[in-house]
Amino acid sequence: MRWRKYRKGSFGMKKLDFSLYVITAENYHPGKTMEEVMREALYGGADIVQLRHKTAKESELLEKARLLRGLTREFGVPFIVNDYPQLAIEADADGVHVGQEDHGLREARELLGPDRIVGVSTHSLDQAMAAEDGGADYIGVGPVYPTGTKPGRPAVTLNYVRQAARHVRIPWVAIGGIHLGNAQEVLDAGATRLCAVSAIVGSEDPAAVCRSLKAMISSSVSGAGEAEIMLNGGRHRTGSMTLQQLVEEKGLTGRRIVAEADGTIVPREEWSGLRLRSGMTVELVHFVGGG
Amino acid sequence: MRLGMHGEAGQKSTPDSWTIGGKILTSRFFLGTGRFPSPAVMLQALQASGAEVITFAVRRVNLDEVADDSILQHLPEGTLTYLPNTSGANNADEAVRIARLARAAGLGDWIKVEISADARTLLPDPVETLKATERLVKEGFTVLPYTSDDPILCRYLAEAGASAVMPGGAPIGTGLGILNPYNLGLIAEQSPVPVIVDAGLGSAKDAVQAMELGAAAVLANTPVAKAGDPVAMAEAMSLAIRAGRLARLAGRIPELPYASASSMEAGKLSSFAADAAWMEAAQG
Repeated sequence: MRWRKYRKGSFGMKKLDFSLYVITAENYHPGKTMEEVMREALYGGADIVQLRHKTAKESELLEKARLLRGLTREFGVPFIVNDYPQLAIEADADGVHVGQEDHGLREARELLGPDRIVGVSTHSLDQAMAAEDGGADYIGVGPVYPTGTKPGRPAVTLNYVRQAARHVRIPWVAIGGIHLGNAQEVLDAGATRLCAVSAIVGSEDPAAVCRSLKAMISSSVSGAGEAEIMLNGGRHRTGSMTLQQLVEEKGLTGRRIVAEADGTIVPREEWSGLRLRSGMTVELVHFVGGG
Repeated sequence: MRLGMHGEAGQKSTPDSWTIGGKILTSRFFLGTGRFPSPAVMLQALQASGAEVITFAVRRVNLDEVADDSILQHLPEGTLTYLPNTSGANNADEAVRIARLARAAGLGDWIKVEISADARTLLPDPVETLKATERLVKEGFTVLPYTSDDPILCRYLAEAGASAVMPGGAPIGTGLGILNPYNLGLIAEQSPVPVIVDAGLGSAKDAVQAMELGAAAVLANTPVAKAGDPVAMAEAMSLAIRAGRLARLAGRIPELPYASASSMEAGKLSSFAADAAWMEAAQG
């Protein structure tokens, strides 16, 4: 993966291995402290946490960051700070998350260096590709649905999730208005990582919501034997999760074949990132004798 | 220009090289790879042919077959220019799709546009062939359309950016030879891009004829692959192509309605009997 180039040899928190991303939003849990709520989320299985507080003063934010740093360390999960690279360093966070503001990614990378995580919010495939090229460690893909935490931003819909599933090669997480009621369709569109904010922190029982979301993610991602695709003109049930696995399943590893999914050629380097979904049409072609 | 056959047949010592899409070629034989009795025979025929450009088709991988039936595994790497075709396409859209798939294999950007709209004759669809050529040229392919032997269509194809035109001698695989030498001659005479006679040839004589008509090259598959001895026929076709090319460059004599003696008239020992009788009668 791309981030390896930043860190040769030893892998620390940069080994981005998460599936449920939780972001703080204190306005959704009046009467409960941030620490309580986030601890519950971590109990429930949140495996990366971001501190986001757009209105807090920096000193207040640093205090919260230090608190979450301690808490996430207890659970051994990465801790990301929204928007403030310098503060992320001061709080010894694992990284920072930036938006689409000018040079956000570049400046964050310059400040944090190669070893810390830099994530970027993206709202289109172009932005995703730019973030990938710019050396982002992961991207947010959204808002999938209209959301109260980003009022006014038009939802990108599941279309962008499908595009991301096909084209984005670094870790990416679907975000924006996701809750237990719609998570399955986001996963069906190809997401393998989800981020929820209000659905988790605003719930009576954040741990239970996290557990449910985690269960949906893991059964979707390892939904072995569940995809029925059209393969070379015939129906094919497969346990393969990705195109790469399908090629291996068919004993075609190392053969000079070309793959097409839903009418679009998929370059070989994207095979392992392309998730198979039921209803997908896959063609595997090669050269035969001809005049 | 002198084009002697120095040394062995097929030796590439001739200065008569030519160019397609910036690629310099010395052989004027394009060999198809279909229908050979075995890959081994195909390889030997390829060697005997001296061909530098080979054609093949794009097909679905046979998922029920464990063995690798891809043609490429049998071919020497790096020495050949690959010309995949779009056979199986019935219209321009399908041809463009197949061309993109072929290019994605990473073996270059040459494409033989082949669009058949009729199962019995497999004759090329002129309208769709022109459309596909236009589109593929825009996408940066080196396009060699297989086309009817129509001089006007060939002109349109060249104007659309085709790197060569490949008129058929006769329908694919028929072995009927060159059915309309007049048209082929006209195409060769006027074409701004190389003319490669493709399809329908039966034997070496057809290859000679194609080259004498002014073709830059010949593409053959079935007449070689299905010959009694494909390897020998590959060599025969190769020699025929060289022979036809040499004859074309040498400049053939005009065709006359009556005899023209090879030796001079003066000093001959006697006259034809018929002529003598006629003269006697005239004098009598």
